[in-house]
This record gives sequence, C-alpha cells and structure tokens, in this order.
Amino acid sequence: MNVAIIGCGGMGALHAQMAANCGHKIVLCADSVRKAAAALAEKFGAKVSADPLSAVAAKGVDLVAIATPTPTHLPLIEAAAQAGKDIFCEKPFCLNTADCKKAIAAAEKAKVKLFVGHVVRYFHEFEAMRAKAQSGEIGAAGWLKISRGGIFPGAPGSWFRDYAQSGGVTLDCMIHDLDWVRYAFGEPERIFCQTLMRTEPVQLDYSQVTMRMKNGLIATVIGTWAQPSGFRVKAEICCSGGMIQYDSADAPLAVQPRTVAAGPNMIVPMSPVEKSPYQMEWEEFTTWLEGTGTPRVTARDAMAAVAMAEAALKSAKTGQPVAL
Amino acid sequence: MSTIKIGIMSFAHMHAFGYAMALKALPDVELTAIHDDDAKRGRAMAKQFGTRFVADQAAFLALDTQAVIITSENARHRGMVEAAAAAGKWILCEKPIAPTVEDAKAIVAACKKARVGLGTAFPCRYAQPLIAAKAQIDAGALGKVYAVTCTNHGQSPGGWFADEALSGGGATMDHTVHVADLLRWMLGKEITKVYCELGNQLHQDTLKTDDLGSVHMELEGGVQVSHIASWSRPKSFHTWGDVTMDFIGEKGVLSVDAFNQKITVFDDKLGRAVWAGWGDSLDDGLVADFVASVRERRDPAITGVDGLRATEVTTAAYKAFRTGRMVKV
Ligand SMILES: NC(=O)c1ccc[n+]([C@@H]2O[C@H](COP(=O)([O-])OP(=O)(O)OC[C@H]3O[C@@H](n4cnc5c(N)ncnc54)[C@H](O)[C@@H]3O)[C@@H](O)[C@H]2O)c1
Repeated sequence: MNVAIIGCGGMGALHAQMAANCGHKIVLCADSVRKAAAALAEKFGAKVSADPLSAVAAKGVDLVAIATPTPTHLPLIEAAAQAGKDIFCEKPFCLNTADCKKAIAAAEKAKVKLFVGHVVRYFHEFEAMRAKAQSGEIGAAGWLKISRGGIFPGAPGSWFRDYAQSGGVTLDCMIHDLDWVRYAFGEPERIFCQTLMRTEPVQLDYSQVTMRMKNGLIATVIGTWAQPSGFRVKAEICCSGGMIQYDSADAPLAVQPRTVAAGPNMIVPMSPVEKSPYQMEWEEFTTWLEGTGTPRVTARDAMAAVAMAEAALKSAKTGQPVAL
Repeated sequence: MSTIKIGIMSFAHMHAFGYAMALKALPDVELTAIHDDDAKRGRAMAKQFGTRFVADQAAFLALDTQAVIITSENARHRGMVEAAAAAGKWILCEKPIAPTVEDAKAIVAACKKARVGLGTAFPCRYAQPLIAAKAQIDAGALGKVYAVTCTNHGQSPGGWFADEALSGGGATMDHTVHVADLLRWMLGKEITKVYCELGNQLHQDTLKTDDLGSVHMELEGGVQVSHIASWSRPKSFHTWGDVTMDFIGEKGVLSVDAFNQKITVFDDKLGRAVWAGWGDSLDDGLVADFVASVRERRDPAITGVDGLRATEVTTAAYKAFRTGRMVKV
C-alpha cells in the first residue's frame, strides 16, 4: 500500500521504516516543518508536504500514518477518513474521550480502518508477563505495580512541554500501562491519581496512580518525566502463589556512549529481538488491512485508555478518586 | 556507670528477639526478666537470653527494673503501657504503638501522667542508608522535594498479625507506620491527607485481614506520596521484604532501598537464591538510645507522639478505604 507519513519526528521516522519493512511504500512525508518532512522523504524517495491536512487526502495514498502531537490527531483522522484512507495513529488516540468518539465516528462513517498504536501490547516482556499471570500457574493476580519513564521528553519549546498538548506523563506515557492493565486484567472500577505537572523552577512531571479493577485487582502505576536521565520500565505482579518481576535496567544489552548528542531527546525503548514490537504492530495492522486478521487493540480500546488517563487527571485535580 | 535494668514484656512480636540481642550486647545493661502471657514462649526466651521468666505481670513490674520493652500484640500495648507507666518504668513500645488513635492517645497520656519516658520502636530511623538519605535531603541535594514513592513489603507473618482483634488490621496496619514515620522524620513535615485502596489480594485462603494497601498521602506543602504496605512477598522470595523510598526533587532524584546491603546466596538445599544481609543492625541504635534515655531520664529520640502520629495515618488509611475518599488526618 502507498503510505503517507504525517508528522516526521521521532515516531514518524520509526513508523516509516516499520511500514516499509511490511512491504508498504512510503510515497509522501508531511510535516508542518518542511525540513523534517524533507529529511524523511529523502530516505524513502517520497514526496514532501508541509500541509498535513491536505496530505492526508492526497491522491495515490491508501494509508495514512499519523505521528504528530496529540491534539492534531482528531482533525487529521477526520480528514483522512473523509478522503477514504485507512489510518494508523500513534497513541494517545486523542486528548479526551469526546475527541476519540468523533474520530471513531468519522472512521465508521467512512468505512475506513483505524488502528491506534498501543505498542506495549506488543512488547515481548509484557506479553510474557500477561501469559504467565493469566495462566494461573502461580495463582491469581491480586496486585501489580508498573513504573515507566525517564527524562522529560522534547527539547525546550517542544509540544511535549505544553501540558495542554501532551497531557503530561499521565496521558502521554502512563497511558501505555493503563491500557495494558486493562488488556491483561479487565475493566477498571475507579482511579486515584496525584500528579506534579510542574513547569517552574524546572519542568518535570510525576504521576502516581492507584486503580481498582472490577475483578478486585489493585494496580499501582507510576509515570515519571522527572528523572535527570535515561528511561526505565519496572513491573511487578503479585499472585496468590508467586510473583513476577521485570526491570528494563536488567537487560541483555547495554551501550553507554562516552559522549551524547546535545540536548535531551525522547528515548524509545527497544527490545533487542528479531522483530521489534513496532514491527509487530505494523504486521498485525497489515493483516487487518488485507482482511486476514484482527489487531489485538481496537480504537475503542484506545478510547478506554484515554478515558482512564482523563479520569486520572480529573482525580489529580479534585484530590478524590474518580469512578470509571 | 550504674547498671540499667530492663525487662521485656511479651515475645509475641518477633522484634523482641532483636531487642533482646541488642540489650545483651550493651555494657552496663541487664536484661533482668521476661514476662509473657504465653508462659511456654516466655520460659524459652528467658532460657535463651540467660534471664528470669516472671509469669505474673504485677510481680514482673514490682522488680527493681527501670525500664521495659513492650513487644506484645498491638491491641495489648495499651494495657501493658498503662501498667508499666504506673509502676514508673521507662517504656519502649513496639510499632504500631496502638491499633487505634484512642489507644495511642491513652498510651501517650499515661506516660505523661506518670512522668516516664515513652519511645516508639521505629528502628528504620537507625538504618544507615536512610540516615544517609536524610543527610542528603537536609544538605539540599534535592532542593525542594515534590513527590515520594515508597514501599514496605513483607511476607505474610500469619499468627496474631492476621487476627484483627489483636492486630487492629492487616498489612496496611503493620507496614504503613514505618514509612509514615520516615516521611515525617526525613522531610520534617506532617502528613495531612490519606487515600487508600486495600484488600486481601493474595491470601484469601489463609488470611482474614487485608494483605496490601496502596496508600496515597499528602504532606504539608503539598508533597505527593504513594506507598505500598504489603505482605505480598511470596514464600520463595529471596528476602523478607523491603523499605524503599524514591524522592523526586527540584534538583534531583534520590532512591533508597534500605535493606539492599546483601550478598546473594544460591543454596541447593533451599532450592532457591536468598539474600544474606551484611548491613549494620538497626536494633542496636534504637536500643542504645532507649538505654541512654533511661539513664538520662529523658524521652527516647523517637517518642510516643511519633508513634501516635503514625497510627493517625494508618487509621486514616482504613477510613479512606471505608469511605472511598481521600480523608484529612
Ligand atoms: N508508542 C511510543 O512508544 C511513542 C513514543 C513517543 C511518542 N509517541 C507518540 O507519537 C506522537 C508523536 O510523538 P514524537 O515523539 O514523534 O514527537 P516529535 O516531536 O518527535 O515529532 C512530532 C512531529 O510532528 C510535527 N508536527 C507538529 N504539528 C504537526 C501537524 N499539525 N501536522 C503535521 N506535523 C506536525 C513536528 O514538526 C514534529 O516533526 C505523539 O502522539 C506521541 O505521544 C509514541
């Protein structure tokens, strides 16, 4: 299929490669910053656009991959759907559930496929934990804790640093784990959250969540954009007959460059495996497009994840738990 | 120096063992007698520590001891403290000082009235990694502290710990107070609000109480804290549990894992790996201060009021869970 990459930043470049690996052709790269689009387009011999809203409707494009700042997801999805394009969209789906609903309605009306990249569902370690916990081999899961995060993403001035656009660590980063907990353990009942969302004197965000699931499980979820460096994921699942632990810092491969590029950048966790989770989500999405499979994550799942993050942020504001 | 004579009231709490060891190691201190309502246990401990067993509480308190360490079940602290205070003894009381705020207040009041010193056994304040962490924070290494993430995990202790009539509650009762006290001590701020989800998450077949509480707190000045109080470590775990605190500050972050001074031993006989600790003893510092407080006729460094404050937090956690709200302490 012919693909237009919309948003040619960190994730756009990654998705272009993943799509190409699946046999798709990158025909158009669009970014509000022409230079960003041009740099990526050159790599794939694609056309360049600095007008994303018209790029999603461009002739000769079958599939649109949206990797732009979160608030732009809805208008881009609506325009792409209207033009009859299938859509891959980065998480978080949208800034709020109201927008998610509109996006789903647009895709349904246009009868196009809409996939949201909740990539943690494809991470091998998370799949291994889910399989073990669900197997019952070590009893029933009663409590879990997941911590995720590292340095505050984006250079000064980046959209990540504007909480109105990124939703901070809770909406942008912790949403991975909120989605995964629901994926592995069912629907949430209520959520409580404390979050910093500071800009002064240093910009940092730190979010601490307790979620009660309908099946009784308690999930403690920590999201951090407050670390001076690095990125780390830790998970612990306690069951009635044992426990599962995972720590990304305890890895088979570690590289520490003596010098680093100037300025902080968004670190994307990579498991050194034959097929990266990003590749797997593209393969699954592709089977869906071809009519030979269904993806493990639906747009409604992605909306449920936004609803959880939205409830968490509401709880943080009110200082009380929020029912889901 | 004159010898300080100390008795131990009850070995229901296993920490009594460590305190007895610490007493035996100190010069000019005599472990004069052990009282226990479980005579068999009391006799065995008296034999082990080379001291006398006194079955009758009144007779035990009539001995010429200056102080007692009370390590009975949580719900029995109050009665023993009141009797010991009336007998003029200096008191070190095991944590939690009481299962209810009412009992904790009565304990503090009884000692005040009798003009005896009262300490709460929060030995974590004597853990070197936590002392060093506090020093870093005090020196300004983190600048302003905004948030803290804590754990106090353990294995299920069973016995009276899981009998609400004696313990007052489960893991949330047992494993919230250490961290509540550490937060107050390290940050110099009171805990003002508490939220909690708790339950019997892992031991439905064996326990009646909760075995885990996911607690959120707010400290004066808006510091945001989450804390896990649990008996969630499986039997096959490599150690008893932990006390961890991650501080998020303006100028940096600090992580302390207080008991992570260990070697890992792979033991074929056990069929698993276990930790063998090499850190300093916490009990030594706690007990040495208590003995000094007896000698100097002052309150121990960690007072009964510190115990009361921690119990206020624990009871607020249970109330928060019952009401489904974040509640004021
Ligand atoms: N799944 C993951 O692991 C993961 C990791 C990081 C980011 N993300 C998500 O991916 C999306 C993009 O994040 P990123 O890290 O690539 O950000 P980025 O800042 O690196 O890139 C965003 C790009 O979009 C461009 N852009 C801004 N507004 C635009 C618009 N209206 N139309 C077209 N282009 C526009 C910017 O110029 C930039 O090149 C976000 O939704 C983010 O939450 C997902």
